[in-house]
Parts: sequence; C-alpha cells; structure tokens
Amino acid sequence: MIKKVLFILFFSLLATKFSFGNDELKNKIYKNLRCIVCQGQNVYESNSDFAVDLKKLVEKKLSNGETEQQIYDYLTSRYGEWIVMTPKLNASNAMLWVIPVGIFLIGLIIISKIIRKSKINS
Amino acid sequence: MIGTFGNSSLIIALLLNFYLLFSYSLNFFKKKNNFQKVRYLNFLVTVFVFLAFILLLWSFAISDFSNTAVYQNSHSQKPLFYKISGSWGNHEGSMVLFILILAIFSSLFSFSGVRDNLKYLTIFFQNILILFFLIFLIFTSNPFDVIRPTPAEGLGLNPILQDPLLSIHPPFLYVGYVGFSIIFSFALAGLYLEEFTKLWSKQASLWIVIAWTFLTVGIGLGSIWAYYELGWGGFWFWDPVENASLVPWLASTALLHSNITSMKTEKFFSWTALLAILTFTTSLLGTFLVRSGILNSVHAFANDPDRGLYILAVIMIISFFAFLIFILKFPKSPMPNVLIFWSRGSFILINNCFMIFFLVVVMVGTLYPIFLDALFEKSISVGPNYYNALLAPFVIVLLWFMAHGPLLEWYKFNKQSLIKAILQISFLTLVSSIIIFFYLKDFSLLLFLGVFFSIYLIIAVIIDVFKQKIISKNLARNISHFGFGILVFSIFINAYLSKEINVPIKVGQTIKQNAIEIQFKNILKSQGKNFEEIIGNFLIKDGTRAFELSPSLRKYLQPVQVTSETSIKSTLFGDYYLAINLSEFEGDKIMIRFYHKPLMLWIWISISLIIFGGLIRIFRKQNES
Repeated sequence: MIKKVLFILFFSLLATKFSFGNDELKNKIYKNLRCIVCQGQNVYESNSDFAVDLKKLVEKKLSNGETEQQIYDYLTSRYGEWIVMTPKLNASNAMLWVIPVGIFLIGLIIISKIIRKSKINS
Repeated sequence: MIGTFGNSSLIIALLLNFYLLFSYSLNFFKKKNNFQKVRYLNFLVTVFVFLAFILLLWSFAISDFSNTAVYQNSHSQKPLFYKISGSWGNHEGSMVLFILILAIFSSLFSFSGVRDNLKYLTIFFQNILILFFLIFLIFTSNPFDVIRPTPAEGLGLNPILQDPLLSIHPPFLYVGYVGFSIIFSFALAGLYLEEFTKLWSKQASLWIVIAWTFLTVGIGLGSIWAYYELGWGGFWFWDPVENASLVPWLASTALLHSNITSMKTEKFFSWTALLAILTFTTSLLGTFLVRSGILNSVHAFANDPDRGLYILAVIMIISFFAFLIFILKFPKSPMPNVLIFWSRGSFILINNCFMIFFLVVVMVGTLYPIFLDALFEKSISVGPNYYNALLAPFVIVLLWFMAHGPLLEWYKFNKQSLIKAILQISFLTLVSSIIIFFYLKDFSLLLFLGVFFSIYLIIAVIIDVFKQKIISKNLARNISHFGFGILVFSIFINAYLSKEINVPIKVGQTIKQNAIEIQFKNILKSQGKNFEEIIGNFLIKDGTRAFELSPSLRKYLQPVQVTSETSIKSTLFGDYYLAINLSEFEGDKIMIRFYHKPLMLWIWISISLIIFGGLIRIFRKQNES
C-alpha cells in the first residue's frame, strides 16, 4: 500500500501537466476567458452572443489541433490581455506576486527579530 | 407624506448627533465627567435613525412609488417579503441600514462595563462616524427623495436578488462590517487616553467576536446563495464583491488572534491596535469600492461616481486621523515585545503573518488591474486561477501552524511533548490519508498535501479536546478550528474531484456518462406570483442511487428577465446539481449542465461549525487558558 502511494506520489511529482479529456479542456478554457461584453462573467457562464461565438471559435480551434496556449495567444492578440482571466507572468504583472510574497517575507523577518531578541534577553 | 416624516427624522438625528458632539466636546475641554446628556443623546440618535429605517421599510411595504428609491427598486406585484428586503437591496436603503447599525452599536456600547471616560470617548468617535455617513446619506443618497408626478408602477427588483437567503444576508454582513466600527472607535479612544492595555483587550474581545461571527454568517449565506442561484456549481468566484467581504474577514481573524495574545501576554498592543484600525478601514473600503463603479462585478449596485468620490474622501479622512492618533499615541506594551519561537504567542503572530498575506493577495488581485489600467492604460484580468495558485500552498502551511499553536504554551516549551505530538498526529494523519486516497482513486501532489494537512489539523484538535480535563474548556476555539480543518479538506476534495456533464437533451432521451445516467422525463408549466415557470423533470441514476431533479426556467414579468433555477440533491458524500442553460437550444433539445460536487454539504457544515465556535465564545464567558 505504502509502496503504491509512494509510487503515485513520485509519479505525480514528475507529471507537471494534467491530461484533460476534450470536454474538460474545453470547459477549462471557457472558464478562463472573460466575456468582455458582460459584467464580471466568464465565457462559460455567459449566454451572450459574444460568449456563444467565442465558444464556437474555441471548439473549432481545438478540433484543428491548436493547443490551449495557442488559443489564448490568438485571443490576446485580438482582444488584449483582458480576455484571459489568468494574468500573464510578465514584467508589468510581476507586482501581483511580488507585493504579497514580499509582505509575507517582511512579516517573517519581523517575527524572527522578535524571537532573536528574546534569545538575547533570556 | 411618509417621505416628509422620514426626511425629518434623518435631519433630527443629524441635529441630535451635532448636539452630542458639541456637548461632549464642551465636557471634554472643561474636563468635566458628566456624561448623562451624551448618553441620552446617543440613544435619541439611534431612535431617530431607527424611525427613518422603519419609515423606509413602510414605504417599500406599501409600494409608495412617490419615493424614488421605492420606484426604482420595487414593484407592486412582488411578494411582501421581497418588498421589505428590497429596502436594503439598493444603495440608499443599505446606507440607512449601515447608519442604523453604527448607532445601535453605539447605544449597546453604552451598556458595556468600560470606564466612563473611555466609554464616552468611544461613543464620541462612533458619533463622528455617524455624522459623516448621515451627511453622505442626506445630501447624496437620500432614501426619501420624492418623484413627481407619482408613477403608477415601480421598475421592479432584479429577479436573481429575489431569494430568501440573499434577502437576509446583507443585514448579517452589515452587522459584521459595521460591528468593527465600535472596535475601531474603542481602539482610537483607548489609544488617545493611553489605556490600550490588557483591560482594553479583555473588554474588546467580546465585540470583536460578535462582529466576526456576523461577518462569517454573512459570507456563508452569500456563498450558499451564489452556489444554488448563479447555477455554475461554484460557491466562491473571486468576484470583487466577494473579495470585499473576505478582506475584512481576514483582517478581523488576525485581530481576533492577536488580541488574545495581547490579553494573555501583555505584548504587541501596537499590532493589535493597528489591526483594529485596519479591520474597519478595510470594511469601509470594501463596502464602498463596490459602489464607486470602478470595479467590474456581477453584484455591484447602480453606480454613481460622485458618491464614490465623496465616500473615498471620507474613508481617506477617517483613516488618516486614525493612523495619526495611532502614531502620536503609539501604545507601549508593559512587557517587552519578545517571544520564544515554540510558544503559542509566536504561532499566533505567524498566523497573523499568513492572514495579512492572504489579505494582501486578495487586495492586490482586486485592485492591481485598476491601477494598471489607470496608470498604463493596460487592461488585465485577475481570475480564480491566480488566487487559487497563490493561496493554496500557503493555506497548507498555515494548517500545520494552526494545529500546533494551541498545543503549545504561552511561556514554557516542552520539547518532548512537542515531538510526541508531532509523531502522534503525523502517524494518525498518514493512516487516514492513505485510507482516503485508497477510496478516492485520484491523485495529485497539491490535493494530497491539502488533504494531509487538513486532516493533520482535525486530528490535532481532537487530541487537544481529549487532553482537556473538561471537554468544554476552550470549546469555542476547538470547534472553530475543527470546522476550519473540515472546510479546507472539503474545498480541496471539491476542487479536484468535481465532475460536470454539459449535453443537449430532449424529452424522453437518456444520456449515460460513466456511472451517471440522466433521463429527461417531461416538461411542466407552472405559475408563480410574479413569474411563469417551465420545469423539466429528470431522473438521475448514479450506480444504485436513483432520484429526480427538477430544474426550471423562470420568466419574471417586472422587469422582464429569464432566470435559470437549479435543482440540487445533497448527500453526505456530494451534491448532484442540475441546471438548464438559458438560451442555447438546438432544435427540440435543451442544453443541461449536470455537476457532481463532492462534500459540498460539508463546506456548509464546516462554516456552521466555525460560526458555532463564535457563538459559544459570545454566550459563554470562557477564557483561553
């Protein structure tokens, strides 16, 4: 049993990409695209003409063998970064990760100072 | 007529509020300690705001369309319950509720056992808040504006808002948000009078838990509503409005814990004070950012940039003076701010560090796109993937600290008992995890870690409970932590193992996918009070289990809008969830969405446990040992 779990654990560490069935991949992409004519909805959730057209487009591109990333790239070039719900890792978006993690680290440094001081005092 | 009375009572409340501030200031400068007048004026302000609130409810109940707010948000054919709840379902009405709760907390606080000087300075600060918002209400968002000639019919309320849960969740949310105002005022008073001490922490703790519990209930009800009403099988969408409620929750959770540390160790008062200020300012920011029109959300009220500007200015002024008082009267702790690492205090600080991290993630994710757009005219979207990917690993680590914090002592450290606890819990957790994954037959590293560490916390809490001589000791904390463990566990399982089927189907047809069989039996028509409904009856089979689900489409008449109503079968292991797509029809087929959502019920149960912990703390005066 433990061997099995360890094996799965090891295997999953290696496998960085999940395999999706076609439907799952389709829905995953729909959920990751903003319906740009709606108020805060993604394409998956919207029934607007825009969303319906986009769904057809994505389906067509998938059946043409394009990858998820290629579809995002195409849509980004056409509608801008706004359309993909997951922010890209690039210089102008870096702050999205730098600020929170930076503050977390500052917090840890402060705590470590508090603890070190206590060692000196005691 | 009602409008005139309503308006008058708001203006009387404002005048009384002025008088209170004046009379307190006079007292203050003459160094007199006669607060009887302030006490009565404080009650009177509450009474008149309450009167205005009742008059507004009355206007909505009788559908008085000469009132602009009623005209814009109500309709004579709406059920009475939604007429009344519609009164706080719009900007003006919700502002009245906001001020009413400010005033009620102010009045309740006058019954607290706090020393007079401190108590009435708190009430003074609270009334300054009331002043700002009353002016805002009367001059920019008057709920008693009259429309002439009186329209014959109102415009109606958005049908997806006509729901029992949604109707009652704003009052809870507001008691939460606004409840933090009294802690804010109390903190400023404590700082100003240099009485930010152990006693302050003790007296503040009850108020913190009250507001925190209400906020948790509000968020919980909101997400249950989103789950069954929005129809996408999700319960949390990282929508700006949801985020706006999560930020103060995170701040107040940090406050709740740091306040305990301050109370027990007489340390870190400055940090506790800062959190008390932060909690209310983020509540304000959240409540009003949502209305300013700069955020893109499904939930946002009708927006008006002018109002947004006034309110942002008010928030700036309030925060500026709060931080000014904080800096000028920086509280010094009687004990040096130092800790040993393996102590409960330092683990609570680490918890705070995590809470602030979560808070910053949510704030940055919500606000950064706005800044980027304003400064560089670059539009980006920050969706659920960002939050989930950044938060999940940190939540997992937090669980470990959360498991061990309560097992440690405040001052002493016993290495043997820590090692024993780690081995004991790890062993039990590993065994349980292996059993669980054996049944799940699905594996990914993050899922494993999430499950492992949430069980780790659950087991740590159980061990802690049994170690107590009396079970009821620390019950509030144990139940809430236990609930949090189950919550994270259920969210991980739910996120990874949910299944969905999207298919076109026609009457009589049966669709099979893996173990699930969906049979479309028939269509029925029905008539509600203010809507027509088409109900689809489906027979669902999952292995040996068989049951019916009946999702529907509703056509509301005022305003005309079609909504899709979900049908859900909840079981202990998971929910079966069915909805009809609104407008995608292919010939005689309709599109349906079927979801299997594992452990959904446990998400609600665990939130209830967290709330229950809060309630125990409120009703039973017990102290952390």
